[in-house]
Amino acid sequence: MDLSDDQRAELWLGALVCGVVVLLLAMLGFILREAWPSFAHNGLSWFGSGGSADRQLQSIFDSGTANGPQQYEIHAWPMIWSTVLTTTGAVAISFVCSLFVAAFLVKFAPDPIKRVLEPVVRLLASVPSVIYGLVGVLVIVPFIGQHLITESERASVTPVIQLSGYSLLAAVLILTVMTAPVMIAIFAEGLRSVPRGWLEGSLALGVNEWRTFWKIAVRTARPALIAGTVLACARALGESVMLFMVSGSVGFAPNPADGLIVLFEPSRGLAPTILQNTDGLSSPPMAHTLYAIAALLLFSALTLSLVGWAVKRPMKRYQHAGGVA
Amino acid sequence: MRDTTRQPARPRWSRSRFPHARAGWAAIITVVGALGIPVGAGAVTLTGSGSSAAQPYMLALFRTYSQVHKSVRFKYVPDGGNAGVKDVQAGRVQFAINTRPPLASDSGTTYSKLFLDGLCIAVHNGNNVSNVSLTALKDIFRGIDNSWSQVAGSNLSTTIDPIGRNATAGSYTFFQQAVLGGATQASNVLQVTSDGLVQTGIENDPRSIGYVGLAHSKTGVKRLTVGGIPCDAAHIRSDTYPLYRYIWGVVPTKGTSLQVVRFLRWVAYSAAAGQIINEAGAVAAFNASPSKKHRGKRR
Repeated sequence: MDLSDDQRAELWLGALVCGVVVLLLAMLGFILREAWPSFAHNGLSWFGSGGSADRQLQSIFDSGTANGPQQYEIHAWPMIWSTVLTTTGAVAISFVCSLFVAAFLVKFAPDPIKRVLEPVVRLLASVPSVIYGLVGVLVIVPFIGQHLITESERASVTPVIQLSGYSLLAAVLILTVMTAPVMIAIFAEGLRSVPRGWLEGSLALGVNEWRTFWKIAVRTARPALIAGTVLACARALGESVMLFMVSGSVGFAPNPADGLIVLFEPSRGLAPTILQNTDGLSSPPMAHTLYAIAALLLFSALTLSLVGWAVKRPMKRYQHAGGVA
Repeated sequence: MRDTTRQPARPRWSRSRFPHARAGWAAIITVVGALGIPVGAGAVTLTGSGSSAAQPYMLALFRTYSQVHKSVRFKYVPDGGNAGVKDVQAGRVQFAINTRPPLASDSGTTYSKLFLDGLCIAVHNGNNVSNVSLTALKDIFRGIDNSWSQVAGSNLSTTIDPIGRNATAGSYTFFQQAVLGGATQASNVLQVTSDGLVQTGIENDPRSIGYVGLAHSKTGVKRLTVGGIPCDAAHIRSDTYPLYRYIWGVVPTKGTSLQVVRFLRWVAYSAAAGQIINEAGAVAAFNASPSKKHRGKRR
């Protein structure tokens, strides 16, 4: 039977989509299979704290020889906590800044400024993360180390960690700059999709422009705000190169009880831990440990997507109005 | 009645459907054939991994060896000396370069000495300290001494920011054995993955101190004497510098590639390799001098 071009295209595209889904499931299955020995040896204590994470990783690496017992003990809480702090901090700051920038772009910016600002935002979104890391290492980290950290703060923690500028603050600042362009683009698109009739109706009723924008436009664009936030969180979760360069590369859990010093404390998240220890993949227990970290990152990304979908569900009525889904 | 609205079915592979197919296939075959010629000509690629401290020397040696033996190419991953040994044990690479002697855990591998290097101790150029003892060095990297006011000769009174290597580095294991007496570095030591990053860290932090190979301590940082002995070629060659070390070639005990063995023997004994090693900043140990035909004295 001769198929038409449309039918043939449908078959090919369907096959391609099935292939991609199979590939993703295979990748997921492979990672979970490789991660299992690390989770099996540690149980729930894998997610807890206890001892120096760096020394545990070193023991795991050193034990990866043909003879002798293989070490799997790891308490990944310092890396998990570092990931939570950097992601939450960067996305929170980025959300506020991006919302205001998007509102300015859509509503208040004169056309000449809009014509300059929009390409700049797009350019910032396309800069490779290693460039941000270089700027961080050469500019931000020395500035923090030499001008923001006092000698007494350094001396108070020096037996445990080193305050040299490689810090949570540097990581959060640069991650904010990296995630903001993505959020600005999606927020602006969502705000532009709000029906003009709704805004004009509000203005006709005597509500001022500022209040109309925030109460009507921003509220209508909530699905877009959530989508942008989820995307930014996913980018922040998976960021490894830049964080590896500026966060300090130490398996240490920054302690908020330390006060302002927590901003200057070094740490290392889950993704940078994988990057830093990639050289040790030839050691089987290290490989299993890194796959376990990768499995946790995958699970986090999946959970993030589900949470975003669940939060957007009650806002379906705005999608018909043109908000970004 | 004949349906004139329907187009006659075209054969699947008709020239009208794919007018440029023959030209496309000809281009593909030509390109693949051209790429395949070096493979077909007997080119060999030797794969290795290991020390990043020794990478500057090894890259120079690879380049020269490939110029002399045109069919030999190299692929080298500087993932750290310890990681390189594990790569050899796992069969991922044909050889590794390490900066520490063999350990009991290196089963299944054979080590051979190639040339000499020194693990230099470096500080920022603005630090006045010029000498450090092994004991003071141990206390710094164990977190016992954490202020420059505790180190003789320094003009600083700030905290010390020690920078070291991570567990995959042979340099770290050598430092651990030679200075720390088998103990691990303190938690306040910033662990980085290459000598280059140690050098960059020291350049950017006036309070820092770190250990790097000879090649990475020549510019941008200030080399200290250790126990009054400078970290230079002369004192490394005479074994008087306390932290001198051999650069080792590591191969699998069984199934060693003959090409790899030839290369490592060339590195260790040839006059040409000796000249490159000295020019690159390390110290030739066994190589014949250019004026002599016989092999150098083996230590």
